[in-house]
Amino acid sequence: MRDVETRPKRYERLIILALLLASLPLILGFSLLVLSSFSTEMVTNLDPNSFHPTLENWINLFQGKIATTGGIRVNIWRITLNTLIVALGVAGVVTGISALAGYSLSRIDFRGRKTMMVLLLVLHAFPGVALIVGVYLLYRLTFPQNYEVVGLYSFAYVILARAALEIPMSIWLMKGFFDTIPWEFEWSGIIDGASRITVWRKIMLPLIKPGILAVALFAFLAGWQDIIYVRTFLVYPTLATFIEANIEAEYSHMPLIAAAGTFYLLPTIIFFITAQQILLQGYSGGIKG
Amino acid sequence: MTKGKLRDLSFFLSPMVLMVFLFYLVPLVMTIYISMTRMRNWNVERYLTEFVGLYNYERLFYMFQHDPTFKAVIMTTLVFVGITLVINVFGGLALALATFFINERPASSYRLLWLLPRMSPIAVYSLVWYYFFHGSEIGTLNSILMSLGFISQPIPWGQVTPWGAWSVIIFVNGLVGVSFGMIVFTSALNQIPKELVIAARVDGASSWQISRRILIPMIKWHLLYVLTWQFLSLLTTYPHLFLLVQWDLVNRDYGTTLALYVFNTAFGRGEQDQGLAAAAAVILSIIGILGGFVTLKVLKFERMMKKPRGDF
Repeated sequence: MRDVETRPKRYERLIILALLLASLPLILGFSLLVLSSFSTEMVTNLDPNSFHPTLENWINLFQGKIATTGGIRVNIWRITLNTLIVALGVAGVVTGISALAGYSLSRIDFRGRKTMMVLLLVLHAFPGVALIVGVYLLYRLTFPQNYEVVGLYSFAYVILARAALEIPMSIWLMKGFFDTIPWEFEWSGIIDGASRITVWRKIMLPLIKPGILAVALFAFLAGWQDIIYVRTFLVYPTLATFIEANIEAEYSHMPLIAAAGTFYLLPTIIFFITAQQILLQGYSGGIKG
Repeated sequence: MTKGKLRDLSFFLSPMVLMVFLFYLVPLVMTIYISMTRMRNWNVERYLTEFVGLYNYERLFYMFQHDPTFKAVIMTTLVFVGITLVINVFGGLALALATFFINERPASSYRLLWLLPRMSPIAVYSLVWYYFFHGSEIGTLNSILMSLGFISQPIPWGQVTPWGAWSVIIFVNGLVGVSFGMIVFTSALNQIPKELVIAARVDGASSWQISRRILIPMIKWHLLYVLTWQFLSLLTTYPHLFLLVQWDLVNRDYGTTLALYVFNTAFGRGEQDQGLAAAAAVILSIIGILGGFVTLKVLKFERMMKKPRGDF
């Protein structure tokens, strides 16, 4: 990295080893969970005798048999679909709104712009827990009487409410990305007589594709991992509430829950491997403002 | 403001304004209102109009003085926020510095690994620590310590009050928070001119001396920023604690911070008391808003607010 040319090499291995030791609980915890999902019983006590490799958990999981005895069945694909709808919904709403607002905060000078940006930062610091009581009352007061639209309503509500939490930071992130685009691109469009909206859509959006990708990725993961909002507002189960409920249920077969957990972890792992640059860059980008 | 500009602005800003209005402003007003009603069990029809003034705040104050459970919650909040904050800031600093002094390849793998707690679904993350700190011999920590001969009986870590429960929640949340400091500090270290480090190396300075005399003084501003920001986050977030308490991994009283207390009082099992929860939430919000403005001061926000160039 930055400390390359003159750095003595002898300490390097020591630092790497120290980091490894510090990371050990993390590595151990996650790998034991993944390992348990391929075993007939939970491998948590480092006893090699408890590991009997099997694919049964995964097969049962996908068939929805969550208990070894009895006929308790769930449709895991339906639950995954619910989780996916929430995550994609949050990603869509957050990306759309922050691409719009980020552009105007970055490029248009208007009265109240400063105030608006300060307000956004304060909102980001605002405690989510203080909101959820009020957000739930709003949910109750607008709850539809018509039975058929309840499902649709709860999906829409959980997506909007969860997206709202992500919006302040995402707008700041997006504004940062717009700031990096040279003015000349926009000028040429405006001089040719295009409106700001056309410029935004035809010139700017294609230019900040990496920014859009980063914001969408973060919003997706936020919606995907959420537990508090989905369990409060959504009338259907998601992977998070499925795991929550089954830890306590006496009938559940724990290695199968480990498989469900590993399954739930998959998108995170995939993004980790394919989009590491975006993950690290996105974080620091938002911080620089 | 010309008409065209007004049209453009409303196109770009109205979705955001609508969201902020619906999901921040309206709920805030509603929370303040609920805190002055006798609302319980979400019986909106019956209690929404039953106005009781500051009664819930008085109850909170009374509980603060006399209720041992609530006292435990306050103590937990103080200890949890204080210690986790120190761990987050200095853990993040240690990680950033350690990865600064090693090769890029292992450094970025470690950075990525430490993002895992933040990026993985909360339910999975809690599941991992549920087994790690489990109070019987199936718990990973217990079995390691037992096979090394440090303990002969499994210890129910989270149920040892207060420090057992506190250690577990601090550990679990500390890992999540460390990544934030790590990323900020890493990006700050990257901006330090390389010549400074090389010059110090040529003069024979050790990594430790370089860190203490050059690197850390140069990222002081970032330290302050992470400190205030993390303070706010720790005070007001609770999802990572929620399942640990829900699954009885940690003691209910000594594993609950004020933010989680608000959530559990409003939505938890048994009798729910939204009036009380809302009153506590309002108090948290006041701290949060004040803290937010302090953060802005720390950030020296005005410096970042340049006028857009060439707008017309």
